[in-house]
Amino acid sequence: MATTKKKELLIGIAMLGASLGYLLMTIQLPRHNGIDAAFVPSLLSAMLCLLGVLQLLSVRNCTQAVTEYHPDGEAEVAGGSDIKTVVKTLALILGYIALLNPIGFPIMTVIYLYLQFIVLTPLDHRVNHLVYALIAVVTSAITYLLFREAFDLMLPSGLLPF
Amino acid sequence: MLELLQQGFGAVFSLHIMLLMVIGVAVGIVFGAVPGLSATMAVALCLPLTFTMGPQAGLSLLVALFIGATSGGLISAILLKIPGTPSSIATVFDGGPLMEQGHGVKALGVGIVFSFLGTIFSIAALMFIAPQLAKVALRFGPHEYFAIAVFSLTLIATLSAGSMVKGLFAGALGFAVSTVGIAPVEAIRRFTFGVAELNGGFAMLTVMVGMFAVAEIIKLAESGRHAHQSKAQAVSMKNIKGFGFSLKEFREQLPNAGRSGLIGLGIGILPGIGAGTSNLVAYIISKKRAKNPETYGKGNIGGVVASETANNAGIGGAMLPLMTLGIPGDTVTAILLGGFLIHGIQPGPLLFISQGPLVYTIFAALIMSTVLMLFMEFYGLRLFIKLLDVPKHILLPIILVLCVVGAFGLSSRLFDVWSILLFGLLGYLFVKAGMPAAPFIIGFILGPMAETNLRRGLMLSDGNFGAFLSNPIAAAFLGLALVFILWQVVSALRSKKSLVNEILRT
Repeated sequence: MATTKKKELLIGIAMLGASLGYLLMTIQLPRHNGIDAAFVPSLLSAMLCLLGVLQLLSVRNCTQAVTEYHPDGEAEVAGGSDIKTVVKTLALILGYIALLNPIGFPIMTVIYLYLQFIVLTPLDHRVNHLVYALIAVVTSAITYLLFREAFDLMLPSGLLPF
Repeated sequence: MLELLQQGFGAVFSLHIMLLMVIGVAVGIVFGAVPGLSATMAVALCLPLTFTMGPQAGLSLLVALFIGATSGGLISAILLKIPGTPSSIATVFDGGPLMEQGHGVKALGVGIVFSFLGTIFSIAALMFIAPQLAKVALRFGPHEYFAIAVFSLTLIATLSAGSMVKGLFAGALGFAVSTVGIAPVEAIRRFTFGVAELNGGFAMLTVMVGMFAVAEIIKLAESGRHAHQSKAQAVSMKNIKGFGFSLKEFREQLPNAGRSGLIGLGIGILPGIGAGTSNLVAYIISKKRAKNPETYGKGNIGGVVASETANNAGIGGAMLPLMTLGIPGDTVTAILLGGFLIHGIQPGPLLFISQGPLVYTIFAALIMSTVLMLFMEFYGLRLFIKLLDVPKHILLPIILVLCVVGAFGLSSRLFDVWSILLFGLLGYLFVKAGMPAAPFIIGFILGPMAETNLRRGLMLSDGNFGAFLSNPIAAAFLGLALVFILWQVVSALRSKKSLVNEILRT
């Protein structure tokens, strides 16, 4: 229960931090008499800050664990969170988007998919390099050609000449 | 009206659109059935495909996806005992036990048929109510729209599941994010930091794709490597007549279905909450009113009927405020709103006058998709069951690639692709913090509507707030919003548990 309380406290701090950030930016908006463009943001910053404070207060008063919200009703997985995989996945997505323009969609998609499949493979599964590479190449080619030819969407071609 | 509907069917019955709808329903059912994929994701990912189609074809495809995905959730709810989407949580309660007792086909048949009936009922309601409501809404000005937006905002934040403070915060944060860009009326740049791409604010689609699809992939990264993917059990379709249940059982369930349909429709109309709530409410009421409530949860088809009728009746309910007022009833219709806008169509009361034929084409597409769903889902069941076994570590990276393509396709710039990553991260943090994402989305969409109409209304009345209160409709909605907030605060102080929380607990 102590960990839940600590977590809720952290959430409260994050909420208040975001609210104060928004408040600071709102104060810097140009003002004039009457209702102006800063009116609604000011109202929102006040409300956000109030809610952040309420969250912090509720942590102090609350001894009972707060029920978690699971939007898709999936059961919590035993084994807990795997921060390493999350960081790897985020790094992969980041690299994928960053290199999308210079290297191009077809090549980057193959690389991203292949690596992401490996990173996400469950521990009790064997990594099948050939199948992964094949799926990555086929998916990339189909998406690229389909969108380019059928939907007139010019995805960045990058290093490839076509 | 009949003439227009006939025209609508005429448009839908072209080979091109029929083909798109068959694909749409099938893809929708898959997205509904696979846990972790949702109706919102299906519609968001396929929206870029409709850019080059005409509005009739594009919107037909999107509603087909909507109907397929809302109903598809029952497949995994019954076969895997995991709800495919939040809208079929209550289906698991009785569908799961029925499957264990060897009545899997019956549960599926009941679920699919009552999904069909729920959808048809809600579409009929939509077709009769929408034109009348549109006539009334035609007279609405900025004062009324502001009041309706405020009322809707108070609804979502307080009725969303989980902690009320977090729900309200999510809604306000969504509103805050929507203030990025050029301000309405005054055209001052707000929070753009001199970045030209931010002048137009964040595109709605990037917010939705990020919060619902990219966040899902990051979530899988957190838990997926240690999870065991449950295998779907096979069901035998041999010796099955009709849909696997008797006419007597069907007749017995009709009152329950009617009640659940009304609940689904009513909850669907309210902005921000939809099928995810109505299936639970309908289940609980059905259990209370049943002659044999003790059999609920142990394999009573009444539970499946209540849940599936209610969640599908939400479709017509959610479409109602979208088509008549331009206010989305849930997250899926929020993307549909984007779909309308991309084709240069502004949903709202004028839609029925300026785009009459298109409106009835959408009605016809809804009806046709529902019929397609009935047959494809039951008779193509074995195919969908196979797709449930596709490993998630293969499926979700491919979906991420499609998200990137969709975001890039919005206006061919990488800025939108970076936005989906940003909102994906935010969505993941929301999940970690136990904060619901739906209020954020609705705040993001209704926020600008409230602000723009507030500014316009004030301009009309020379900066006088009183005009909002002297207008009867605006005053009524603002009053309702106030009553609602007070009621929520009082009940929160009294029991510290919201109604929905109570329901989710049971």
